[in-house]
Amino acid sequence: MTGRRVAVTGLGLISPFGGDLVDFFARLLAAESAIGFLRTDDVPRPLAMPFVGCSGFSAEAMLGRALAGTMDRFAQLGVAAAFGAWADAGFSRADTAQDREGWGVAWGTALGGTLAYENGYRDFWQQGRERLSPLALIRGMNNAANAHISIQLGLGGVSMSHTVACASSAIAIGEAFRRVRSGEAPVMLTGGSDAPQAYAVARAWEALRVLASGDENAAPQSCRPFSVVRSGLVLGEGGAALVLEDWDHAVARGARIQGEMLGYGTSCDHSHLVRPEAAGQVRALEAALADSGLAPGDIDYVNAHGTATAEGDPVEVAALRAVFGERAARLPVSATKSMHGHQLGAAGAVEAIVTVLALREQVLPPTANLTNLDPACAGVDHVLAARNQTVRAALSNSFAFGGSNAVLAFRAVA
Amino acid sequence: MDSLTLIREFLDSRLEIAPETVLPESKLDDLNVDSLMLAEIMFEFEDRFNLTLHRNLKSPRTVGDLVVLMDRLRSEQG
Repeated sequence: MTGRRVAVTGLGLISPFGGDLVDFFARLLAAESAIGFLRTDDVPRPLAMPFVGCSGFSAEAMLGRALAGTMDRFAQLGVAAAFGAWADAGFSRADTAQDREGWGVAWGTALGGTLAYENGYRDFWQQGRERLSPLALIRGMNNAANAHISIQLGLGGVSMSHTVACASSAIAIGEAFRRVRSGEAPVMLTGGSDAPQAYAVARAWEALRVLASGDENAAPQSCRPFSVVRSGLVLGEGGAALVLEDWDHAVARGARIQGEMLGYGTSCDHSHLVRPEAAGQVRALEAALADSGLAPGDIDYVNAHGTATAEGDPVEVAALRAVFGERAARLPVSATKSMHGHQLGAAGAVEAIVTVLALREQVLPPTANLTNLDPACAGVDHVLAARNQTVRAALSNSFAFGGSNAVLAFRAVA
Repeated sequence: MDSLTLIREFLDSRLEIAPETVLPESKLDDLNVDSLMLAEIMFEFEDRFNLTLHRNLKSPRTVGDLVVLMDRLRSEQG
């Protein structure tokens, strides 16, 4: 597909390890786990599950009390990540002289402000209150994060939220990419955020029987993608953001170009709400390659969706085998959710950032806890420890409930 | 609690505005109290004193206007 070249000039993330982006990637390379344990005192039954929380994140410290007070936690995480990406791109929040009327935001969130609504229900049904704060609605609305980002950064172009379950932010990034490539927007702030620890949300996931088991001691190693002893995914909260910028625009202002986004492929399985299908994923992978002008032989790394569910992992590997053919056995693949968990609407952005960092630093992060490979997941080169190698181009997969698939393609900058 | 103290407490907790700087003549605009923030203050006020505001109230411009509004309602409904 022809059009403007798209540079990745800013990365921002609220790290579940508590440090910055450099620290986050170093922890992944060391196969460290950010997975902790969520224990609540809820009735009728407390939550007790492996979970990835951003416990070191203080919205008040990062956003100020007045702004943070108008947001649900998903928006707080998102806006803070966006501020990080903005600064990383070398943009100033205070620069009002710059014309940003055509610049936009595309944001992903699977759940939106679920915590805000849940707090409302608690107020009604547990506390016996009869009305809600006037802020309840604006805290809860799904487009809260992108709206706050546009307002705070003075971006006058498109401002949209994308809700596509686990592919939400991958699709947001893809849609942002298309706007930059087409010349519609010189700069797009994109990414995603979610906070799935609302009681009803966590219990709903639990009911699906796809969550990893494990007590407090076992939690850090509870997510085991592609392993024969995998038991499911680990929910997490998070926020992650990227700045996508017209290449010439980035060069003209002397920006640090951290990677090039080349393409985006999306598809729908159109077969089942929760059972993934390789044929649909193949279509998304092939679409991303075609959109990028890349051949399977150009890809040196795939950051897998790899949630560690019994249903999902073998289907994803089957799709990769189908697309990469004989090369699949030499195709490096890792599922970093084994360490940072599944942040739902933020996951695609977290993994896009991991993919760009792998290209930037020329090193691949591993799949942690993969000690006993499921034969159904064999046939690709599973990265079991950090690996220094040439990484020319890479893909990031995101496959959602509902059958929506998204694949992002990036290339290293020479 | 009088109305001025309630306003000061609210602005301190939400916007970190030092209570002693909130004076009757302070303009709400200058304190960054926009229409949404005003709705929050009124909500807090209704909650605290178990009152109900009329929907067609004239928007106050200063802290003093807000105090007068609150005091009048408290005397009418209290």
